[in-house]
Amino acid sequence: MSKKRGFSEKNIAYLFILPAVLIILVIAVYPVIRTFWLSLYDVRLNDPSKNDIYYSYKLDMDGFVEKYPILVSLMDRSLKKPENKASESKLKQLDQRVLKVKESLTNDPNFEKQYDQVDSIQMDDGNVPESLITYPLSKTSAISLLEELKTLQLEVKKLPIKDTDKQGMLGLLNGLQKTVIQPNFVGFSHYTDVIHQPRFWMSLWNTSVFTIISVAIELVLGLAIALLINRQFKGRGIVRASVLVPWAIPTVVSALMWKFMFDGQNGIMAKFFHFIGLIPDMGTLLTSKFWSMFAVIFADVWKTTPFMTLLLLAGLQTISGSLYEAAHVDGASRIQQFFKITLPLLKPTILVTLLFRTLDAFKVFDLVYVLTGGGPANATETISIYTYKTMFAQMNFGEGSALSVIGFICIAIISIFYIRFLGANIMSNNQSN
Amino acid sequence: MRKKIVFYLFVCLFLFAVLFPFFWQFITSIKPPTELFGERAFSFYTTNPSLQSYINVFTDQKRPFLRYLWNSTVVASITTAFSLIIASFTAYAIARLHFRGKNILLGVILAVSMFPQIATIAPVYLFLQQFDQTNSYFGLILPYTTFALPLAVWNLTTYYKQIPLELEESAKVDGATAFQRFYRIIVPLVLPGTFTTAILVFIAAWNEFLFALTINTDELYKTIPVGIALFQGQFIIPWGDIAAASVIVTIPLVIMVLFFQRWIVAGLTSGAVKE
Repeated sequence: MSKKRGFSEKNIAYLFILPAVLIILVIAVYPVIRTFWLSLYDVRLNDPSKNDIYYSYKLDMDGFVEKYPILVSLMDRSLKKPENKASESKLKQLDQRVLKVKESLTNDPNFEKQYDQVDSIQMDDGNVPESLITYPLSKTSAISLLEELKTLQLEVKKLPIKDTDKQGMLGLLNGLQKTVIQPNFVGFSHYTDVIHQPRFWMSLWNTSVFTIISVAIELVLGLAIALLINRQFKGRGIVRASVLVPWAIPTVVSALMWKFMFDGQNGIMAKFFHFIGLIPDMGTLLTSKFWSMFAVIFADVWKTTPFMTLLLLAGLQTISGSLYEAAHVDGASRIQQFFKITLPLLKPTILVTLLFRTLDAFKVFDLVYVLTGGGPANATETISIYTYKTMFAQMNFGEGSALSVIGFICIAIISIFYIRFLGANIMSNNQSN
Repeated sequence: MRKKIVFYLFVCLFLFAVLFPFFWQFITSIKPPTELFGERAFSFYTTNPSLQSYINVFTDQKRPFLRYLWNSTVVASITTAFSLIIASFTAYAIARLHFRGKNILLGVILAVSMFPQIATIAPVYLFLQQFDQTNSYFGLILPYTTFALPLAVWNLTTYYKQIPLELEESAKVDGATAFQRFYRIIVPLVLPGTFTTAILVFIAAWNEFLFALTINTDELYKTIPVGIALFQGQFIIPWGDIAAASVIVTIPLVIMVLFFQRWIVAGLTSGAVKE
């Protein structure tokens, strides 16, 4: 009957999923592909000639129009200065060459038009529109322009003129070179660079150590606590609520709490660890390589074990009590019951919990960023932190993207390992029947 | 009896381990500045409690704490509302309607929820910068949807599946279209599940750090986790202020957890536990 209205159930289904599919394509799938694409280019946000992906030779008009006239007037002014008299002829010659730089470009009437447009916009302090910001160059003219600017820089360096003038000219010539945009495709060289850096392997090692140790401790502790409180007792509600609090607070807040308690001078936990003889002195905790990793893992275990407990407890509650009664009648010991009943029946829950915990641990960022910042001497620097620093401290988006892609591949491998080899069945609850 | 005592001893130990950092944070927040350093720093109590740290948190001109709270509230609320509306339709289709590619869709949604956020940050950042949308609410809501939407779809699908099929069948017989069945019958019935999902999505968005740190760097648009994380200055770390801010942020969460614990637990465990 719905066919009469022109909507079959199937069509309604497609209509219903359409928004989600579009959003996922736009904000998740496309960015991942784009990250890979970026990783093949030399993109650096702190270098105007590399601040995007460039497929062809161009001139950055915004920068060129800004810097070129200053260079010309600076050369004119220093020509007129009496103290530069000695090098007058040389200076004149260079001045001519600088003027030629623009002349060679003005062969194309479009260039002059665009130059004037950009110039008047800059005069009014306006923003240069996207369409005017670059001017296309042929490969030969771009390279000859760049060569000329480089030789001019060398020539200026040799001039025996006043230092302030000279530095100004050199800076402008350098800036002008940056306005010549070259295609920045580098292929897989970011990847080969990265895998030759000890820092990369160090961060991969740190991430793995953190992930394996913290998840293992959380599983064992979580399972033990879950087994312990899997019964009716007074105050169960309090236990359950208190377990949720570390999970609910922002990781940043918990990291700051621990940072204070681990503090080398005023930290209560540092004092406690020192008191029981675990660490030689309080300062060791956040300043030595081994103990800072210990601190990070400790804080993570505190925040996530309760969550693990909660999930495992829910899994335990689905195991029927009659199984244990029957085992008891058959004379099975507690330990036998654990290995023959609890563990096999809990396995699906354990695997799914482990998978999600492992992925989360591998992606760790907030905790390390706040607690140690990746230090001391990169001893706690994880892949995410390294990637973040490459992108937002060095502004090297090309190499940072390559690191992102590597991190992404690691996550994929972990997922496949759990799902294919260990048989974690994450879909079973929601799979279509 | 002896067994019982040992058991409660363990429970207390566990509670102590879980709650001690909060207790310590609270004590630190009410200590006067002079007791934050030296021997008094290790004291479990203070004889002259002070609200100075709390006053500092709200009055420091360099960091508009209330504004951080407001920003987080706006971003997390809109993210939650937006992703829940979109996810409701998707979850209903997955749970109840037949269409080709359902398992592929589920697989993609699951895969997206596993994406490391760092894998999408470069293009998202460049995009937002190009359109001048860094330091805006939109700039955070957009990337937050990457984890909020899969989380919402995944949870909601479980709840939609629990609605008895017969209810819908009878409506179908009465001539209700799929769309009518969806908003007349299913949506009202699944409201508790939707609410649970909303809590989970809200907390995830409220706590997010990486995108917030990189995209909204202006004081006026920082969210609460970034704001608190950057309390620490270059040379001195104002531990008292940080403790006070942590307490302020933790209290509403504790209240929420106490009120909704059953629902939160149900929402958290629905994905992992097979029944």
